[in-house]
Amino acid sequence: MKILHYYHDLMNLYGDYANVSAMRRILEKSGESVTVDRRSLGEDVDFSEYDFLYIGSGTEQNQRVALADLHRHADALRQYIADGRLALMTGNSFEMLGRTITDAAGTTYEGLGVFDFTVTEQNKTRVTADVIYTCDFLAEPLVGFVNKCSEIKGTNPTLFTVKMGLGNFDGDKREGVRVRSCYGTHLTGPVLIKNPHFLAFLAKKLLGREPETGYLTYEKAGYAVTLSELSRRADAE
Amino acid sequence: MKKFLTILITKLLRFAGKLIGRGSSKPGQVALRLCPDILSRMELPKYIIAVTGSNGKTSTVEMIAHILTKNGLTVAWNKEGSNQIEGVTTLVLGSATLGGKVKADILLIESDERFARYTFKYIRPTHYVITNLYRDQLTRNGHPEWVRDALADSITDGTQLILNADDPLVSAFGQSRDNVIWFGADKLSTDTEDLVSVYNDGAYCPVCKAPMVYSTHHYNHIGHYRCTACGYHRHDTQYTITSVDMDKGEMTIDGTHTITLALKSLYNIYNILSAYTVASIVGIDGAKIAADMNRYVLKNGRVITFSLGSRRGTMLTSKHENSISYDQSIRVAAAYKEGCDVLIIVDAVSRKYFTSDVSWLYDIDFEMLGSDNIHQIVLAGKYVNDLAVRFSYTDIPNEKIRLFESIDEAADYLNSDRSEYIYVITCFSDKGKFLVKVKED
Repeated sequence: MKILHYYHDLMNLYGDYANVSAMRRILEKSGESVTVDRRSLGEDVDFSEYDFLYIGSGTEQNQRVALADLHRHADALRQYIADGRLALMTGNSFEMLGRTITDAAGTTYEGLGVFDFTVTEQNKTRVTADVIYTCDFLAEPLVGFVNKCSEIKGTNPTLFTVKMGLGNFDGDKREGVRVRSCYGTHLTGPVLIKNPHFLAFLAKKLLGREPETGYLTYEKAGYAVTLSELSRRADAE
Repeated sequence: MKKFLTILITKLLRFAGKLIGRGSSKPGQVALRLCPDILSRMELPKYIIAVTGSNGKTSTVEMIAHILTKNGLTVAWNKEGSNQIEGVTTLVLGSATLGGKVKADILLIESDERFARYTFKYIRPTHYVITNLYRDQLTRNGHPEWVRDALADSITDGTQLILNADDPLVSAFGQSRDNVIWFGADKLSTDTEDLVSVYNDGAYCPVCKAPMVYSTHHYNHIGHYRCTACGYHRHDTQYTITSVDMDKGEMTIDGTHTITLALKSLYNIYNILSAYTVASIVGIDGAKIAADMNRYVLKNGRVITFSLGSRRGTMLTSKHENSISYDQSIRVAAAYKEGCDVLIIVDAVSRKYFTSDVSWLYDIDFEMLGSDNIHQIVLAGKYVNDLAVRFSYTDIPNEKIRLFESIDEAADYLNSDRSEYIYVITCFSDKGKFLVKVKED
């Protein structure tokens, strides 16, 4: 199995790199041999080599630098997604897949156009929240944290339903985007460690069989504590 | 009349607040409601020194106040560390006559980095120290560049900037300004050629975003950097740590003044250097400053030595959600040659606001605890499972690690006949839960 951790040094703001560590571990525990390629600005990338693509979150400035670089791969990336290969983009990295990103000064940047949504940033208030999301493909909810300054309009289809916290824009009850096996969510940090069931779901897609999950004892216990803390919080609000 | 009444009421509230042990924000909050521009109506001293940055501001301000007071100057400063506009208002009005004149030679303000722009709309600092900008409490701060942009709004012309030359993001405030005073460290014996950190916030130039190269790293992305494209680079310094000897616990400033350290951490030497820089600018002789900083023990409760049964230890108060703060504490333990045990507690992520986010654990370089002189690692608190998972992504063997959800039980476990020194690394939000189990010095 080959994993591409793209813009590993530019888009890695909240310990996002650990999603790649988690995917590597579950695949190895399931008997696969795994290679992780870390690539960044200006480097050659052949998407067709990879089984899993991951990009994490970055500052607004870094996202623009990554986007400018990613444009040269726009066709290859669209093909990768159209072929139904697995991609996870967390934080503001998935915003690059939309039609446009408009910054706080009003400058508009062309996105890759994989999705039809548009992104609008502001620079007054950082929008952050602990969140609980649900979706139709996982029995248990997801927990995590969102940390952004943008609103995303026109997402279809979306990935998650908001039980607590933030959606794609103020008041929206839907979060992220999904097409085929490309998953985009504004959840930040080690999403796949905080949500071992989501990790297992993605690993199963890659493997075509049930992955080994017996080793995830502390991950599951940590998830239970966070879900209970957040649920208590949600009830209090 | 409004000014007189506002000052009077603030003073009364402050007095009453002190009696019942309340914090110092409330009186200022009332004052700002009564008279929103009260700060700009005050008569301020010649020196208005502000200190901001992610880490070290409370310690630096305490050191500056200590040196200046020792040398016969009167200093009004926010001892309680209430560093937003309300706390600063309490400080300024509390230190003033009823006529509105601040009775001090120097007004010394610790300022929150995100809210400095509100405070300094009314009070323009004559001198403005920026210590560093790190990943710090990102669940409310966003990220370091977001904080940089907020901080930029607080800097006005006519203020003397005093910047840490070794922090690339902080140094960028000096771009296109010609009156900056720079402090920093020469290449030190503790430096590394390669980055020692889980992540690299110095990978790209803060000005043009092209790759940067380092000739030396002091710690994390703090060091001597140069952009490969636009030429942005670490500035020469006027106030300089010229050498350190961490074994002896000594630092030397400007090649002449040697200071013995009460706490052998790189953080501490930067805080001392910032304080040295400010005191020098105010006119205190370097030798006197060095004498005042010699073996100086901070009084702000960040470092606490204790006994637990027959065992001795030190609590290094670190900031949750601040990986460099943790890295620094971990370095202190890892450098303890005689051998030690380390306790890490994450029970409440923050004391000021709710969050259950533990992403920041993945930015901490726990691998450093793999050194042979660290004998046992005890992990404790509500988030012990998350700590256990984080440690599973290091090369540290499981046999070295013990897990306790209960801080009480962790302390009881450490209260054994082992002879190793104990380092406790945790945050303000959790430190009290351990300290009730020990005898503080």
